[in-house]
Amino acid sequence: MAAGSLSTGWEAHRGRAFALGLAPALVVLAVTTLVPAIYLIVTSLTPLNPVNPGTAFDFSRPWGNYVSALTDARFLHSLWVQAQLSVVTVMMQLLVGLGLALLLDLPSRLIGALRTGFLLPMVLPPIVVAVIWKVLFTPDVSPLHHTLAAIGLPVHSLITSGGTALWAIAFADSWEWFPFTMLMLLAALQMVPREPIEAATIDGAGSLQMFWYVRLPYIRQALVVTAIFRLIDSIKAFPLIYILTDGGPARATEVTNYFAFVQTFNFSYWGYGSAIATLMVAGALILSLVVSRLGTDHGVVEH
Amino acid sequence: MIRRIGRRELIGGGAAAASLLVLPGKAPAQGGAKPLAGVNLNVSCWSAAYPKYLADYIPEFEKQTGAKVTYDTPSFPVYNQRMDVELSTGGSTYDVINVTFIYSGRWIGAGWVTPLDDFIKNPKKTPADWGGDDFLEGVAGQLRDKQGRLCGIPWIADIFMAGTTHNEIVQKLGGMPDTLDGLEAMLKKAGKMPEMAGFIAENHYGWTFISFLMSYGGMVFRNPPDDLTPVLDTPEAIAAADYYGNLLRTYGPDGVLSYVYDQVVQMLKQGKALYSTNNQMFLVQMAGKDSKVAETCGFSMFPAGPKGRRPQVATHGWGIPAGSKQKDAAWEFIKWAMSKQMTERMFKEKNYSSVARRSVIEGPDFKKALTLNGFDVGKMYVDTIELAGKGYMKYRTVPVYPQVDREIDAAIQAIVSQQKSAKEAMQTAQANSLEQLKRAGVKL
Amino acid sequence: MASLSISAAAPARSRPRRRRAWRRVAVQVFAVLLLIVTLAPLLWMVQMSFHPSTDVLSLSLVHPTFENYRALWTGRFPASFGNSMIASSVSTLLALVVGAPAAYSLSRWRFRARHKVALWILATRMAPPIAFTIPYFLAYRYLHLFDTVTGLIVIYLTFNLPLVIWTMSTFFDSVPRSLEEAAWTDGCDVWQAFFRITLPLSVPGLAATTILCFILSWNDFFFALILTRTSAMTAPVAIVNFMQYEGWEWGKIAAAGTLVMLPVVAFTFVVRAYLIHGLMAGGVKE
Repeated sequence: MAAGSLSTGWEAHRGRAFALGLAPALVVLAVTTLVPAIYLIVTSLTPLNPVNPGTAFDFSRPWGNYVSALTDARFLHSLWVQAQLSVVTVMMQLLVGLGLALLLDLPSRLIGALRTGFLLPMVLPPIVVAVIWKVLFTPDVSPLHHTLAAIGLPVHSLITSGGTALWAIAFADSWEWFPFTMLMLLAALQMVPREPIEAATIDGAGSLQMFWYVRLPYIRQALVVTAIFRLIDSIKAFPLIYILTDGGPARATEVTNYFAFVQTFNFSYWGYGSAIATLMVAGALILSLVVSRLGTDHGVVEH
Repeated sequence: MIRRIGRRELIGGGAAAASLLVLPGKAPAQGGAKPLAGVNLNVSCWSAAYPKYLADYIPEFEKQTGAKVTYDTPSFPVYNQRMDVELSTGGSTYDVINVTFIYSGRWIGAGWVTPLDDFIKNPKKTPADWGGDDFLEGVAGQLRDKQGRLCGIPWIADIFMAGTTHNEIVQKLGGMPDTLDGLEAMLKKAGKMPEMAGFIAENHYGWTFISFLMSYGGMVFRNPPDDLTPVLDTPEAIAAADYYGNLLRTYGPDGVLSYVYDQVVQMLKQGKALYSTNNQMFLVQMAGKDSKVAETCGFSMFPAGPKGRRPQVATHGWGIPAGSKQKDAAWEFIKWAMSKQMTERMFKEKNYSSVARRSVIEGPDFKKALTLNGFDVGKMYVDTIELAGKGYMKYRTVPVYPQVDREIDAAIQAIVSQQKSAKEAMQTAQANSLEQLKRAGVKL
Repeated sequence: MASLSISAAAPARSRPRRRRAWRRVAVQVFAVLLLIVTLAPLLWMVQMSFHPSTDVLSLSLVHPTFENYRALWTGRFPASFGNSMIASSVSTLLALVVGAPAAYSLSRWRFRARHKVALWILATRMAPPIAFTIPYFLAYRYLHLFDTVTGLIVIYLTFNLPLVIWTMSTFFDSVPRSLEEAAWTDGCDVWQAFFRITLPLSVPGLAATTILCFILSWNDFFFALILTRTSAMTAPVAIVNFMQYEGWEWGKIAAAGTLVMLPVVAFTFVVRAYLIHGLMAGGVKE
């Protein structure tokens, strides 16, 4: 904080100046995010459906959409699908990311370059990721399917079978996002102080013991924060599902986000879609609160 | 013959607008003035064969009229989803659109597309010999609103039929099957074939399954359009779903649930599936120049089920969104695209035969052109349209059909991917459809 | 701020050197192999794009062709590329202009509602896009912003602005305050000091943030899918349109995918240090 030697007049002047710097951003933010959020909540209280004129201002059953969501088997099913997808992808990404972070936590020019290579899946446009996996999961053009068939292990189309479609999506999603967990955990690993590691080395600790007793305690918080970040982002999964399965087969991959999309933009149940979206925002908000409690003041990786 | 077609909304239409559009495909306007100069028309259709053919002629329209046409043809589901949102929110992005068959009831019923009678019957806008009454009523009727006004000009009268890529194989197995039982027996006899699936169908089951459903005596709604109670869980419907699900699962290619129409057509042209129940528009492409099976393909009417033969007829038409700000210019486009001359040219130059104009169908060349490898597809076409005129197609004029269509998709997917038995899947579809109709505000 | 050293010098270690050296080599070889396997799906798509005919299963490296790219470049694809470019860069620029001063205020000014503002920004970053598309779609209809690049620029601010504020304030945090305070005593006011001292010192952070914003906007699929049709269509949406229109010509689909990912891949390699900086500070958004 500013030195106390400065006068209180300067202090007030400074406050005004800072407020001036903050104000435009807050105004823009309010117009672009707060107003739409309020609009969303308002429409969620109406049965808005352009097919039936007059539904835009019909507040006669304000909780109607929320009540019908609770009894809508498709919505509840989408929550279950979402939960499965989220848990599996977050776990897979944490494991792969951690493994790679440990492997690549090595001071070397080559490894540095490799790290950048491993980042690629995350920065690729998600639609390109979807195209890549569409190729791999379409039996008649997939090198994967053909190789497996050639070595006598033919595999049936994974994205059109109810038992495997969701896991195929989870696999592709993990491929896309493991770099994120790798990056965050790599940073955390590099923050581990040298002394305990050296002390443990002198005591003759094995790699596993080293990880479990020395490194893990230092990166535990980073693990949790990273997991929550991925958990929140996993709710937004869209392009992979849109391109690979369209929510099918028979809704086996219809996550909540996709369900809301279909309800709103395929069937014009705008009010109902708004209610689902509102519930999703509420969920994300709660998780954000958790992050802001866990992370320091406002930087996730400020150590 | 100089007459003014410009309206205020025809920006820069020019005072000397001429009637060149009376003779489509012919000489440019007298006096050289282009009536639609400066007009930008936004036209959209889903990516079927016909709109692809039409794309080749659009430069002619642009040259004649001076209009600039932005032509957008996304895939079927993307097109429908976007256009539904567009129309439901009164958008003015598009001027000419395709009125999709599964959505026609919804879009026309809600008044989202412009009735075209005012354009067709106004001699100032349309010459009398354009032939507004030349379209098959069996298909045009599906594009009329409650007052009987035509809301779309049908560019296709498509029928559901059957085809094989290798008639010589089918002949050895007893010929093109005439019944659904015969079909299954044939596929069973054919067994596993190298590099070739027995059966293939597009994954839009809300369309491809319905003929099976009705041939088994099932229905979508109890008595459309008056009683819209879904009847997807009747024993007949379950039996049909069981039969069809088994067909896809046992004889379809790996990943059959992901096959969209384009992939199905590619597959047929390359001879990678033996047999398909499909649209005429898609099946006749097997006889095209770029097909590997042009010499061997064969055709038949849709096989009969236990309760009769119920091949469907589909129609798509060009329409004008209620929100379009350039309706007159839009009509000029439709009038040009759907004129007798253009229909005939596309039939002759592009081999496009799924037309809805009686004058072309009854013309001398039609039968000749539609005799493919000795199969009289023209007769199958006419017979099917006659059958479908008996009323079982009414389910598609229902405004809530799109929602039920998705439920049927999900049910067949569930059966084929073995997540549910036919009974459970159809019961779920029934329950979900009821829920959907309730949300849509339908009184049952 | 965590700085990830890309090529930090190895600290001298004494212990059994030979064994350790071997292990190092083994780890590096393993890592290279792992990278190849990991990126194989991506590489496969790239090679597919050079494939001439329908037989997409064979390797194209034997007779590579640019036919797919030529076909793309004569269609409507270039226009969508342009739309993506304009929407992404303008939105990024706007977010920086409005967001950087705000980030600075947030970093330096301890006011009462500070925590709430921070939470609001975090929540905006976390909110699922569908929550924005519904009201935006309805509003854009009235405002005539539907299917316009301007409309995209505005909705991209919903993630770019929070990202700039969030990321830049961590960067500003790491600039020593004593320098500004010295400037203040020399008679600079707050913003003069910011522009003369703090901002120049944060150029790496600024670069990182810019790249990140650009990539996120460039990668957007969902907003553009819903809010554009023909005239403002972006490259990612064009792929989908194209994918279904051309009848599954995998070669062309792959070529389109390769082109769309080119800018971000280039960024990744050319400015990887900055990018990693930005990713770390921002905790990336989809």
